[in-house]
Amino acid sequence: MSAAPVVISVEGVTIAYGDRIVQKGVSFEVRRGEVFVILGGSGCGKSSLLKTMIGLYRPAAGRILFDGDDIATAEGEARLRLLRKFGVMYQSGALFGGMTVLENVCLPLDEFTDLGAEEKKLIAAARLNQVGLLPAAGQKPSALSGGMQKRAGIARAMALDPGILFLDEPSAGLDPITSAGLDQTIRELSKGLGITFVVVTHELQSIYAIADRCVMLDARTKTMIAEGKPADLRDHSDNPYVRQFFLRQAEAAAGAEGSQTS
Amino acid sequence: MAPVLALSGALDVETAAQARRDVVARLSGARLPALEVDASAVDHGDMSGMSLLYELAEGRLVQGVRATIRGLRPEFQTLLAAFPSGEALGALTPAPDRRRLFDEVGVISISMAADARAQLAFLGALVQGFAAVLRRPRAMRWREVAVVFEKAGVNALPIVSLISLLMGLVIAFEAAQPLEMFGAQIFIADMIGLVMVREFSPIFTAIIFAGRSGSAFAAEIGTMKVNEELNALETMGLDPIRFLVIQRVFAGTLLMPVLAAYSMVLGVFGGVLVMLSMGFPLAQIWAQLLGALHVRDVLVGISKSFVFGAIIAGLGCLRGMQTREGPNAVGDSTTRAVVAGILMIIVVDAVYSVLTYVLKV
Repeated sequence: MSAAPVVISVEGVTIAYGDRIVQKGVSFEVRRGEVFVILGGSGCGKSSLLKTMIGLYRPAAGRILFDGDDIATAEGEARLRLLRKFGVMYQSGALFGGMTVLENVCLPLDEFTDLGAEEKKLIAAARLNQVGLLPAAGQKPSALSGGMQKRAGIARAMALDPGILFLDEPSAGLDPITSAGLDQTIRELSKGLGITFVVVTHELQSIYAIADRCVMLDARTKTMIAEGKPADLRDHSDNPYVRQFFLRQAEAAAGAEGSQTS
Repeated sequence: MAPVLALSGALDVETAAQARRDVVARLSGARLPALEVDASAVDHGDMSGMSLLYELAEGRLVQGVRATIRGLRPEFQTLLAAFPSGEALGALTPAPDRRRLFDEVGVISISMAADARAQLAFLGALVQGFAAVLRRPRAMRWREVAVVFEKAGVNALPIVSLISLLMGLVIAFEAAQPLEMFGAQIFIADMIGLVMVREFSPIFTAIIFAGRSGSAFAAEIGTMKVNEELNALETMGLDPIRFLVIQRVFAGTLLMPVLAAYSMVLGVFGGVLVMLSMGFPLAQIWAQLLGALHVRDVLVGISKSFVFGAIIAGLGCLRGMQTREGPNAVGDSTTRAVVAGILMIIVVDAVYSVLTYVLKV
């Protein structure tokens, strides 16, 4: 795995909303074809880090490079080329409510390819089939359950077959069977097609099933406290909080920020 | 032996459209009994690229010839397997929804009847809510009433001031020229007084109220509905009407007459300014105004405002509570609230005109 080239490098990134610092000095590298998981307790800045990585927020310090290009400073055509490298599934799916599910998945194909209408529909249908949503293709997102919206969001993120997929809490709110199916799809896409995944999650089972490597953020120190393979962190980490997280133990200290369950 | 079409290199989202054109160009006009596709040299691929192979295999590119694909790498085969069957695809095209005129009329009539019923039920619930508040005044959330007073009343003063003053000025100014021909400019005072007090001030403040606050009520309550906050109230045993609507309707009903009275003063003041600039002494204008305006005129204007306020606030809340799902829902409710509000203002005003004429007030 270490032989694979680096596709994203996060260099000393600090995330802040105004004066409130969420995370400081986060650094790691994501390599091609791996499933990289960002984890941590509620409110530790996982989703903020993800949104900074995909260029929605500007880091207060540090850089995020995709194949050497800084996403925060890229503009115009260069930025568009950068954005084409990845797809994003948002926590709630973020489907366009005015369109059917099929139209949602077709939209990126409509905008960025010169395929014919029939082919685009065919590709979108295959995408939906892949996530098990073909029967719901003609429905509006509001008619779908939360988990279905999420899966449709993944189908849309994959529409242009980007080399990198960012998934924000993909398995939260899904039933175990669907969730396991999704994990399997992620493994297949990553191992078979060499797609890189950056996944934000705190579902332990999912982490063990998919993650090649992970980083863990901490809300109290506002820093990254661990990096490595999940099993190694569970068994060998010298940080008690990290071990607690992986062993799914409630915190012993009184007045702490709540247990890491979900 | 079947002819072989050999593909090689990348078959992905970047190359799919061009590859498809090439294949179509190569195969067009050829009369093939069968076709074999050798995909063993395809070393990069994705879903968009695989669509070409799927179309070849399904006989969608060359009519009647289903190609056999061989040599495709297993990871690409997984992608190819994701393409749905022909029937599943056919089911994606929805049957056109064609309604006849007769159906249309029926559907609209039913929905209008349902809406009328909903409004009546809402009115009933409102009356019930007010009755509950009368029995137990503490049931009213008075802080909310104060907030509505501030947002819909105090914050509306600048725009009400500007519009009323300018209306008074403009009407007086426009009337000055025709009246000058008869040397009857002093009657500008009569006209501006009656027009502002009986009609324009109540109507314009009501329209401002509908645009500023009726819409806001619909959007606030609509957003709460979309966020399931109304369901939460319901399951907590709290009546949304009492919790959200009563305050707004109560505040709106009391607010409207105050705003209208304020607008009357400013409108008349605007007319007086124009007359002063034409050289009429203030005392004469004042005497003329008092001679033309009676208490009943003011009462007609003020009583209208009560009705306008209640209708606009009530409709705003009702449309908010009727909000459906989806991203356009809140916008639709807001539009419906403002349109229905303004429509009702004009209808009620017309009814008032007929009534005052018949009753000679």
